[in-house]
Amino acid sequence: MKNLARLAIVAALAFAPMAARADLKAIEAAAKKEGELTWYIAHYTSEGAEDLGRGFTEMTGIKVNVVRTTAQVAYQRLLQDIKNNQTICDVFSSTDVGHYVRLAAEGRFEKYIPESESKILPAFRNFDPAGFYHPTSAGLVLLTYNSSKVKAEDAPKTWTDLLDIKWKGKVSLGHPGFSGYVGTWVLTMKNLYGWSFFDKLEKNKPQIGRSINDTVTALVAGERQVAAGADGSTLFSAARGNPLAISYPTDGSVLIIAPSAIVKGTKRPNAARLFMEYLYSIEASKINAKHFGVPLRPEVPAPPGAKPLSEVKTIRPTVAEIDKGIPSVIEQWRDTFGN
Amino acid sequence: MATSSTEVPVSRAGSRWDASWLLWIAIIAILLILVVSPFFYLVLTSFQAEKTGDFTLSNYATAYGRARYIDALFNSLKLGAAAAALAGAFAIPLAWAVARTDMPGRGFTRMLVLATFITPPYTGAVAWILLAGPNAGWLNRFYVFATGAEAGPFNIYSFTGLVVVIALYSFPYIFIFTTAALELVSSEMEDAANILGAGTWRTMRRVTLPLALPAILGGLIICFLEAIALFASPAMIAIPARFNVVTTQLYQFFGNPVRVEVAAAYAMPLLGVTVLLVLVQRLITARKGFATLTGKGGERRPIRLGRWRWAMFGYAMFVASLSVFLPYIFLVQSSFAKAWGRGFSLDNLTLRNFNFVLFEHATAAQSVINSFLYAGAAATAAVLITLGIAYIVTRRLVPFAEVLGFLCVAPFVIPGVVLAIGFYAAYAPPPLSLYGTALILILAFTTRFLPIGYVNASAAIRSLNPEMEEAVRVLGGSRLMALRRVVAPLLKRSLLGAWLLIFIPATRELSSAIFLYGPNTKVASVMIFDMSEEGNFEYLSALALILQVLTLPLLYIGQKALGRDFMLRRTAT
Repeated sequence: MKNLARLAIVAALAFAPMAARADLKAIEAAAKKEGELTWYIAHYTSEGAEDLGRGFTEMTGIKVNVVRTTAQVAYQRLLQDIKNNQTICDVFSSTDVGHYVRLAAEGRFEKYIPESESKILPAFRNFDPAGFYHPTSAGLVLLTYNSSKVKAEDAPKTWTDLLDIKWKGKVSLGHPGFSGYVGTWVLTMKNLYGWSFFDKLEKNKPQIGRSINDTVTALVAGERQVAAGADGSTLFSAARGNPLAISYPTDGSVLIIAPSAIVKGTKRPNAARLFMEYLYSIEASKINAKHFGVPLRPEVPAPPGAKPLSEVKTIRPTVAEIDKGIPSVIEQWRDTFGN
Repeated sequence: MATSSTEVPVSRAGSRWDASWLLWIAIIAILLILVVSPFFYLVLTSFQAEKTGDFTLSNYATAYGRARYIDALFNSLKLGAAAAALAGAFAIPLAWAVARTDMPGRGFTRMLVLATFITPPYTGAVAWILLAGPNAGWLNRFYVFATGAEAGPFNIYSFTGLVVVIALYSFPYIFIFTTAALELVSSEMEDAANILGAGTWRTMRRVTLPLALPAILGGLIICFLEAIALFASPAMIAIPARFNVVTTQLYQFFGNPVRVEVAAAYAMPLLGVTVLLVLVQRLITARKGFATLTGKGGERRPIRLGRWRWAMFGYAMFVASLSVFLPYIFLVQSSFAKAWGRGFSLDNLTLRNFNFVLFEHATAAQSVINSFLYAGAAATAAVLITLGIAYIVTRRLVPFAEVLGFLCVAPFVIPGVVLAIGFYAAYAPPPLSLYGTALILILAFTTRFLPIGYVNASAAIRSLNPEMEEAVRVLGGSRLMALRRVVAPLLKRSLLGAWLLIFIPATRELSSAIFLYGPNTKVASVMIFDMSEEGNFEYLSALALILQVLTLPLLYIGQKALGRDFMLRRTAT
């Protein structure tokens, strides 16, 4: 009896990877029969998302219904769908890691480990050991500045440089209650320097926007001069000719990882799997880099003005820290900054 | 002065079968579907525990358990009151001058107010951040340049700044309501005052404006509600100014961890405020007669302002420069700029943004078409429904008619995102299965702007003396006939006004659209919002300008199609 059980376990172990990592050819053939899929997407810009969807269609002939919204809206829509026993969404891509922790715990995802996971940058592999969600988009929170007002040599080099009195009234930030990027950054700074970092930062009277991209506006307008900003939106605006530049802090750029997952009960499981594979393809990385995202594949060069991720010192909290920690730093933030 | 105090006995006795009854029942049923079902969901949710759905009061405890949540509520009320008052100060003088006087440039002023109205509030807010930012705002830089002072006096990031920006983009509501009402006041009443010795100002204060009181109050209420329901402008201005309002707080209940139930509970006092406002309006207007349309014809001559005409014109241009001229410098600059941060220079000029938005972007052009189609359908539906409801309420055709009036006004104040969740829950799944269809957006827009239609229609119907319908009834016509042949033609100006008042904000409606659109039904407001989230002002401005340029001719055609104001038989000038 015991042996039988052992045998069953061995058999299960032998077949499990096959169940999760099926033959790509078979998946592709079945996916084409399914014909389309719906993608709730909060990563990327709206153009970037549409471009990625089109890229998939060109490659496979499968139509992608791109529903690009903010992370909260995508999550709310998915929750309502689940409540009403609807499976509209096939692939769910939120920027809020907390959504995945919760949905995975409730068994809302289909387990699937993309075949091509071994080909992406090591930093992105094995994000969820249980195999339900996988990084499909990444960005950095780093130091940004208005290059017509601040010379490169005067620009801040470390996060603690922002505390210097010379930046009084000149710092721009987002709000952790409105932006996952900012929330993760605040948590990382707290882990690194303790909350006193923010008490000191408040003495410099930073201007607090909502989204991390509000820092781009504040810098371009000349309203503020230095910021904790995002690489993608800053470089995009700089590439147009706006006076912006980035500086990789020597104490570490905060790496933000946003995953995707296949929704349980999807009516197009093969199209969804093929799409996950596609997000790890060189083609998808190229489209991503074109829209100033960090390419997941090492073969694809970083967008103009950015360093390859392998040359950047990055730091990031764990998934569990993000899920537990962000709600509490939002409260601390509101105590310190008053909103 | 004719009054509406005499209610019609005929209508009470109208228990004889009348086709109009079917219409009333249909309208009430539509209202139940549009408003009651999402609301029911909302109220229910506010009393449910997160996972289990059991009855609980804990959502209310959470929503009001913290001082900062309650502060946000009071900030919103203060904001609403201040913005409505300021909007009134912008709108009422302009409305009077345009509708009743010989101020020069009346048509121009009207066009400028409409141009203000079609400016999405978030575009206006962005422009004002660039104009009045404390460090780099153009107005401040100009002030420093002109006076040599250390710093400029303007700071958009303040409570006052937010009030000004909101008032600037909501005063057209009051303007349009008030002009519509003033255009119905015949000069005979003013003549009577003049004969009795009152001067121009006194006549305006004591006769003309009081006759338009229901419309003015309606406009103020809409402004108040809009100010507390807006999200984008507070998000851009209040957060840097370090204070919260209801909508920015609500947004955070949707963050991680998501607390929809708490958000629903938190939205409830807004409903209470709406009830209160409707009651106040009732109370103020209850005992006076406002019927200005009496079927006896009448005539209207512009009031001669003498040398004050130019002072009045100056004020109109002052308001217009705050709401249109100054902000549009920014909008035009950035829409033609390679990079807006590089300012004005020839080598920064390009048409690429327009080319991109119109021809290269996958969904932008279609989104503009969608916006117009859905907004048009929603405006038509809302005007018809609210005309019916306002008629039922004003003429008291069914018991508890007041409740219907309240139901019409309530949707405005429920923050769009909360309302949209109710909609999504009610209509996306079977049996209706409206997910991803145009219809779900049209229904949501219709519901969302019922209040504007209703406030306008009820003010209009109150200006109508029932005698005229009674005449139809006495001669054997049905109520439906009275409505079609008498009420609708008499009110066509205000109805068209209402249509525009709904159509325009519906083209820029964001908060419910973002929740309800599907892959093929994206609308321009969602597009613009995405671009603003991405800090992409060059494309954003181009798309916003395209929307504006497309809306203006529609407005023009609308005005023309309406024909001449029937009371202006003689031109006095």
